[in-house]
Amino acid sequence: MMVSFFDQFASPSFLGIPLIAIAIALPWVLFPTPPARWVNNRLITVQTWFINRFTNQLMLPLSVGGHKWALLLASLMVFLITINMLGLLPYTFTPTTQLSLNMGLAVPLWLATVIIGMRNQPTVALGHLLPEGTPIPLIPVLIIIETISLFIRPLALGVRLTANLTAGHLLIQLIATAVFVLLPMMPTVAILTAAVLFLLTLLEVAVAMIQAYVFVLLLSLYLQENV
Amino acid sequence: MLSRLVLVSGHTLKNNGSFGACLVQASRSFHQSSQSLAPVPPLPEKGGKVRHGIFPEELFTLLYPKTGVTGPYMLGTGLFLYMLSKEIYVINHETFAAASIGAVVIYGIKKFGPSVAAFADKLNEDKVAKAQEVKGQAMAVLELGIENEKKEQWRVEGRHLLFDAKRNNVAMLLETNYRERLHMVTNEVKKRLDYQVQLQNLHRRMEQEHMVNWVEQSVVKSITPQQEKESIAKCISDLKVLAKATQARATV
Repeated sequence: MMVSFFDQFASPSFLGIPLIAIAIALPWVLFPTPPARWVNNRLITVQTWFINRFTNQLMLPLSVGGHKWALLLASLMVFLITINMLGLLPYTFTPTTQLSLNMGLAVPLWLATVIIGMRNQPTVALGHLLPEGTPIPLIPVLIIIETISLFIRPLALGVRLTANLTAGHLLIQLIATAVFVLLPMMPTVAILTAAVLFLLTLLEVAVAMIQAYVFVLLLSLYLQENV
Repeated sequence: MLSRLVLVSGHTLKNNGSFGACLVQASRSFHQSSQSLAPVPPLPEKGGKVRHGIFPEELFTLLYPKTGVTGPYMLGTGLFLYMLSKEIYVINHETFAAASIGAVVIYGIKKFGPSVAAFADKLNEDKVAKAQEVKGQAMAVLELGIENEKKEQWRVEGRHLLFDAKRNNVAMLLETNYRERLHMVTNEVKKRLDYQVQLQNLHRRMEQEHMVNWVEQSVVKSITPQQEKESIAKCISDLKVLAKATQARATV
């Protein structure tokens, strides 16, 4: 049996039952619904404060039409952050390392923003394809370039998230393996590598949060252009 | 409300045989509490006590009577070593990754735990304080109203003093007015009486003058020429005597 580092990214199943459904549903369990009380316990207070604050910040640059997306974007953010952070625990599976899931999130949402823009304000939406103040000879080339950039967006969104998380997890596994292998042979080097591993873990925590935030932020940006 | 309906209909159906009895019996197991949701029981102040962050205190209290203080620790160590020795848990690269992330998590909780808890508490306290503020302000306004009302009542008590003063004022004014007019009347009467007195004086004076004139006239009329001559001769002789006396005095 060839054990490779990429086995951790295989979609898990147990006795033929795909466990990815449980992995995706896990974040829902971790955020309790606020009860019908005026003063709640600490967890609910902090959670409510965070979600309110985040949604407020996200909706600031958007016009009123974009506020319809508040629920979607806030829940997407919480979902992605939780999945990313849970994936850093040992022996866990991170669903966002799967390109299928990320493209499944990115493409429909991006397409929704484009269609909304094209339906409600087609001139403005098409006008985004040409930046202001371009010299006249460059116009045709620039339009082609902007169109390509427009269609690359969902790809970029999905692949960015996948690549960041996959790379992070792989690095952690590699360096942890290095520590594991070096420990009997050269303990000092192993300890140094363990220090590197600690720093890398810190980085991965940050990356997990930032990538989720960037995903949602870019979507809100695309929405801002089109709504 | 529906429960009452069921009970009432059940009661009527009870007499209709086995089916009615079933219906009543089925619903009798429900609707037994008073079904009052208020007052809502309060939340516990703190979460369940844990030792070392994950092991609930109940485990330690459970094992204490039989194995003392070190019991749970021995259990943990034994379980851990058993899992290692039987290779139920294999030490591999993931162990070091787990240690790393465990260190990060424990560091994060120890460092930021209290401040996050304090922040959450502050959020709640601010909420409660705002409501208390509203209540406090309402109470302050009402208390101020009560004080003002008491003051007004005290002022009302002193109202009779004001009325007495005013009454005195008015009485004095009336008195002054009356005295002035009395004065005026007296003066007028005195003027008239003075006039009468002056008139009488005038009469008397005129009568006196008239009488004096009349007496003078009668005296003048009564002087005969003989008397006149005699008096003139007497005057001349007196004058001569006087002249002689003067001359005698002068020569001396």
